[in-house]
Amino acid sequence: MNQPSIDLIASFLSDHTRPGASSSQIAGSVAAACRGIEAALAPVIGRRGVAALLGRSLYLTARKHRWIEGMTEGNQSDIDIEGFESSIARQTSADAAAGGQLFLSTFNNLLMSLIGPPLSRRFLRPVWTSSLSGTTPQDPTP
Amino acid sequence: MTTQVTIHRLPTGVPGLDDILGGGLPEFSFNLIAGQPGCGKTTLAHQLMFAMATPERPAIYFTVLGEPPLKMLRYQQQFDFFDSEAIDSSVRFVNLSDDAVAGDLERLLKRMGDEVMQHSPAFVFVDSFRSIVRGSEAQVGAQGDLQQFLQQLAMLMTSWQATTFLIGQYACETDANPVFTVADGLIWLHQSVERNSMVRKVEVMKMRGQPSLPGLHTFRIASAGVSVFPPASVAVATKADAALAALAPRLPMGVPGLDDMLGGGLPRGYSLLVAGPSGSGKSILAAAFLSEGVRNGEHGVIAAFEQNPHRSRNRVVADLITAGHVGLVENRAADLSIDEIVFMLLREIQRLGARRVVIDSLSGFELALAPTFREDFRESLSNMVTALASTGVTVLMTSELEDRYTDLRFSPYGTAFMTDAIIVQRYIEVESRLLRVMAVVKVRASAHSDQLREFSIDADGIHIGTMLSGQEGLLGGQPMKKRSPDPDSARSA
Repeated sequence: MNQPSIDLIASFLSDHTRPGASSSQIAGSVAAACRGIEAALAPVIGRRGVAALLGRSLYLTARKHRWIEGMTEGNQSDIDIEGFESSIARQTSADAAAGGQLFLSTFNNLLMSLIGPPLSRRFLRPVWTSSLSGTTPQDPTP
Repeated sequence: MTTQVTIHRLPTGVPGLDDILGGGLPEFSFNLIAGQPGCGKTTLAHQLMFAMATPERPAIYFTVLGEPPLKMLRYQQQFDFFDSEAIDSSVRFVNLSDDAVAGDLERLLKRMGDEVMQHSPAFVFVDSFRSIVRGSEAQVGAQGDLQQFLQQLAMLMTSWQATTFLIGQYACETDANPVFTVADGLIWLHQSVERNSMVRKVEVMKMRGQPSLPGLHTFRIASAGVSVFPPASVAVATKADAALAALAPRLPMGVPGLDDMLGGGLPRGYSLLVAGPSGSGKSILAAAFLSEGVRNGEHGVIAAFEQNPHRSRNRVVADLITAGHVGLVENRAADLSIDEIVFMLLREIQRLGARRVVIDSLSGFELALAPTFREDFRESLSNMVTALASTGVTVLMTSELEDRYTDLRFSPYGTAFMTDAIIVQRYIEVESRLLRVMAVVKVRASAHSDQLREFSIDADGIHIGTMLSGQEGLLGGQPMKKRSPDPDSARSA
């Protein structure tokens, strides 16, 4: 297991899904991470490849967080990031944090199991670092 | 002053490949790596890329609709050459599947052009090019479009000074195909299965501007990646040692009395065949030869195909190997080629600076070869002996020889002519005891003993005795005591 990669994700998760953060903030952070993942990986493995990995991660996460189940149905070649974001935002902040954390760590573990920790870290480092340095997501305007 | 353009040849980093390419890959060339599924195209492409790309001269690896990139990355990183740290600095993967799926070649060309212009790669790989062709075949006027696409791609890559590799799955190299015409280099990978062995071969069918080595050359894919085994004659770089070897004093054999039988030891650089039936002492003679070399400060190499040299039966050799004085070439793979064995031998010879080489035995050697190479065994063996001799080493080969008492044979392969010296060992029966006899049959360009000498083997090795003067018909296997001349018949004559 590659420690720096885990540390980066842990920092990302603790920064963006810490207690006290609102469901909307958590949803915004998770969606930003998904978009970052897509931007980082689609040039390498294609959009469909990224969608397949995100879909698998959602499926695995939904076993513990039933509210995610609906996200795994439908088009397998594309992931509805906006829909996922809305779905997270509708949960309590505790559920949103737990579900978001599990989803991102599941995705990272899945990628590492397929292409190994060094390569995963190499591809996803910009996602975790740019999200870390980025501005804290704000609540959507009513 | 020459006005010709100088084409730089790039070292590929793939062992043996530069030799068969004719000195490396021409810079800015447009190449096709072709072959059937599973023959190693993608592995070769990755190995080339990781070996050649640097941050200053990066590579782009375009993946299209072939093997999913995720799987490709998963499997390719199992090879030693795969360097995760090089990704995004020296090596960049770009997936074109979304562009390729539409079969729009113009769009694909634009996308590739954009990437090339943005990153100025020195090397470009397109894997798989065949899937681009298939994707476009559904379109109207596909053939004309494809030809145009190819020419534009080749022009673009050459203009941007990129050495390019298209990786494609083609079943038949004789099909008329625009890519075969446009490509500067055609590297074809083959694999053939016979019984339980699979042999991989590479052929450089075309390499513009330089003399590549014609024919099929074996290669192996191991954890380090692809290794190509050029013919033995090419693998040997210099023949200077051979000339020097001829001037040096003869080699002692390590068996008392045998040097005298050979006319003063074995001339350096010679190949010696020791033939005899099972258990006659061939391997013990070979061990003595290596041991004597070490005693005289000469390292050795043994290619063991018969028994395990670490077993107590060959304790002398096992100790020499353990001590690092003798290198061991041993491979139990069922798909060896002579060229691969020569490659391994030469590597060990070079590593140790060895002067003596033993191949024990030719019979085991033949069995170790993939079935497909056994037909050419004699010819390949001759090439191997020539290649080894040209490095200046002295070679001793043992050969199993069934005792036949009706004819005189020195080798089961008819290989006697290709060796410089021959020692033959045989069993004979004398007074209900099995005795061993030995003779020097041939030492090229040298006088040697013509005696058939009894010898014995004990814990100290081989002891050569005297001629069995009182016996006649030794080679018949059951000699008779010589009869003294009949005094009556002598008187009457």
